[in-house]
Amino acid sequence: MSTAAPDLRDRQDGAAPLERRAVPPGRRLRRGLAPWLLLAPALIVLGVLLLWPMVRVLNLSLQDYELKNLLRGDSNYVGLDNYVQVLTDPFLWQIVLPNTVGFAIVCVVLTMAVGTVVALFLNTLGTAWRSICTTAIMVAWAVPALTGTYIFVWLFDPQSGLVISALDGLGLMEAGSVNWFTNRWSFYAIATLNVVYHGFPFIAVTMLAGLTTVPDELYEAAALDGAGAWTRFWQVTVPTLRPIIAVCVILSTIWDFKVFVQIFLMPGGDGSTREVMNLGVWSYTQSFAQGEYGMGSTIAVLLTALLMVISVVYIRTLMKEEEL
Amino acid sequence: MNRRTPATTAARAIGVVVLLALTLFPFYWMLSTAVDTSPLSRGASLLPSGLTLEHFEHVLVDAGFLRYVRVSLVVALGTVVLSGAVALLAAVAVARFRFRLRTQVLVMVLMVQMVPLEALVIPLFLQARTLGMLNSLLGLTIVYLGFSLAFAIWNLRGFVAAVPRELEEAAYVDGASWWRMFRSILLPLVAPGLVATSVFSFITAWNEFIFALTFMQDGSKYTVGVGLRTFFTQNTADWGSVMAASTIIALPVVLFFVLVQRNLAKGITAGAVKG
Repeated sequence: MSTAAPDLRDRQDGAAPLERRAVPPGRRLRRGLAPWLLLAPALIVLGVLLLWPMVRVLNLSLQDYELKNLLRGDSNYVGLDNYVQVLTDPFLWQIVLPNTVGFAIVCVVLTMAVGTVVALFLNTLGTAWRSICTTAIMVAWAVPALTGTYIFVWLFDPQSGLVISALDGLGLMEAGSVNWFTNRWSFYAIATLNVVYHGFPFIAVTMLAGLTTVPDELYEAAALDGAGAWTRFWQVTVPTLRPIIAVCVILSTIWDFKVFVQIFLMPGGDGSTREVMNLGVWSYTQSFAQGEYGMGSTIAVLLTALLMVISVVYIRTLMKEEEL
Repeated sequence: MNRRTPATTAARAIGVVVLLALTLFPFYWMLSTAVDTSPLSRGASLLPSGLTLEHFEHVLVDAGFLRYVRVSLVVALGTVVLSGAVALLAAVAVARFRFRLRTQVLVMVLMVQMVPLEALVIPLFLQARTLGMLNSLLGLTIVYLGFSLAFAIWNLRGFVAAVPRELEEAAYVDGASWWRMFRSILLPLVAPGLVATSVFSFITAWNEFIFALTFMQDGSKYTVGVGLRTFFTQNTADWGSVMAASTIIALPVVLFFVLVQRNLAKGITAGAVKG
């Protein structure tokens, strides 16, 4: 490629060969250009598929845009009307935002707690058992969100699922007497279980990697000073692993804020039970069920803005810890 | 930490059993439902009421699930090839060259991973509709390329950076061109990273749901995830078939994960954990 390019230029442009002679077939020039040539395909893909659509969604959020606008190819700007409508809607403040933020916070706390406990436990095991347990955790991690959700829906199936059958067997509840998916709290309890189950392996594996780097001397010194296991955890482990913990918390927060599949695929989660909607599902159904792409975009922009704030915190943390 | 009293050994053994049971149970429940002769009347019994492969047969033969598997495979393999190639070039650029705006490029690669798919699905759907790319395997592959690329670059960057610079310089001293060095030195050494990255791209495409649901409206172009929904009717679900189909979806992913877990964990945590 590097030999073909100057040839082409020679033929098209008489001045080019002179220029090239003036700057000797410079390694410097090529080294300056090389990274950009290598990056070009990636930047084009990211630009076309991620950045441009973000611009477009921002643009759409300022319009009352339906499929007919697309077919006619016109725009229909309404200023900030969509934002005013969404932000003044009690549905946002009473249902959607608590469902999104509250659910994310609970999931992050539980995922971190379970992940950390599992990592601490794995760290006490010998190599063989540790790798057996890690493999089992990998299985939990690998089960796709989609199928994992169906497994939990099946476990909690109101007619013949495992949980209701067990409760029926114990004489506590009759099968078919209650539908957990129609109640907001039990719906989200099941979703939490699903998300924590799917999310804790990452935390456990990452924390375990971190734990193995903590020098034993620190624990020995603390033990000599009379610190118990609890104190050692908070005074030695947590401060040493602070950067890793920070990254885990922020990544989990980002993931748990944009949970979509795990809600959407639960019975009633696709928008048919309005009181279990979160921001992602609301945006999706507003667009694709109601055909109001403008309003859907507005909700999507709000969700993205929320995530961007967290992302900036994440990247700042990362930049502090590591030279990129 | 290394005390070995009978009590701690027993506690550890109980811990291992509890951990294994809880982590593997949902997976076990899926598998055992898929082979159960009558999953709906099984109740809370831990063992299936009888063993059968009829659910798999129903799913693959009668319900045509193989068609969905084929669509998903084509899309996922296309994504793997495209994103591996594009990401490798970009990873070399950010790991090997110091240039202006390099940090900005890396920050952008990190930032775009945070963009929620729900925000992208609206503009990309409208764009694909305008271009006539709905119900097109190529259209879906291109979209997945976009989603898997940022992580692939980030992941490969660590593997490229781990190749000692001296090896490259030695190749140049021997008169190799950059391309020759790339082919003979860098590519073989980065191969394990490329495998891990490919697995991750494959899983991204194989598991994706929102775009597959929105883009593929023609029943013959359903991916496995969207095809799974055909086993649900208004108020009932054929759980034996759903779990058999779920097994078909989950099994390759789980096998991949377990096979490359070492590489994968290293790659995923490379951004989080030093070294």
